[in-house]
Amino acid sequence: MDSLRNTHVKLLAFDFLNLRPYAGDQNSCFRKGKRLSRAETLGIVVTREFKSNKFLKFTIDDGTGCITCILWLNHFNSPYFSRRNPSDVRQIAQVATNFASDVQLGVLARVRGRLTNYRGAIQITVSDVVVERDPNMQILHWLDCIALARKCYDK
Amino acid sequence: MATSAVKHGELVTLEELNPSSPHFTQGASLRVTGKLQEYNVDTAVALIVDGNASLKIDTQHLKVNLRMGSLYQFIGEMLIQPPNEAILKARVGRNVDGMDLNLYHQSLQLLKEFQADQMIERTH
Repeated sequence: MDSLRNTHVKLLAFDFLNLRPYAGDQNSCFRKGKRLSRAETLGIVVTREFKSNKFLKFTIDDGTGCITCILWLNHFNSPYFSRRNPSDVRQIAQVATNFASDVQLGVLARVRGRLTNYRGAIQITVSDVVVERDPNMQILHWLDCIALARKCYDK
Repeated sequence: MATSAVKHGELVTLEELNPSSPHFTQGASLRVTGKLQEYNVDTAVALIVDGNASLKIDTQHLKVNLRMGSLYQFIGEMLIQPPNEAILKARVGRNVDGMDLNLYHQSLQLLKEFQADQMIERTH
């Protein structure tokens, strides 16, 4: 039941939107009886809401649905980071800032992160972002998701 | 099932977009792909083609450099004017030169079959 728990599971958006929250842990979800905590998506950035030093909230449209992603940018005012080494925090903040500037409307972005439940909806709390230059990556992502679902995730 | 505030652009080919298609409806959110054949600077209306099919795209809200002969993908909403003239009001557009259109069309079929299988499985 937990074999996929720490894997970035490649999911199509329509599949992602059918995940069910896991009672008792808001950072886990169920997909067909298997517990997941991380996911990877790839699609076009169709919305972008930027709050300086707070977050970047954006939407990925992969052609089968839309996934909400949240990239935190609050490293210098979050109590969580105040306990960590300041130079590490600066580096983490710089990486997040770079991701935020990469995420622009219309780009093809590959996003990995944790599944989190916000106001009853499941979203991705972003760990990393790669902007894909090759438009064929969207096709390969669809085929990867189909093959993985059939041969691995659904088994 | 969770819902998103933004409607996704349903994947359609230009050849599928005829007046009898279920996607040929007012306000339908679509993602279309085609080669830029015409562009009117005054109206910002582009014409994209794929095989024998074509579609007008309203690009006035986009910041995309358009080049004749290049391949583009647009996401937006259908606007249908009588009798049956369609134009896609694009909210997102991007250049997809280098994309393998044959592979794209074949993959769309596989993707739709997979979605249909998953939906059937969920209802049983």
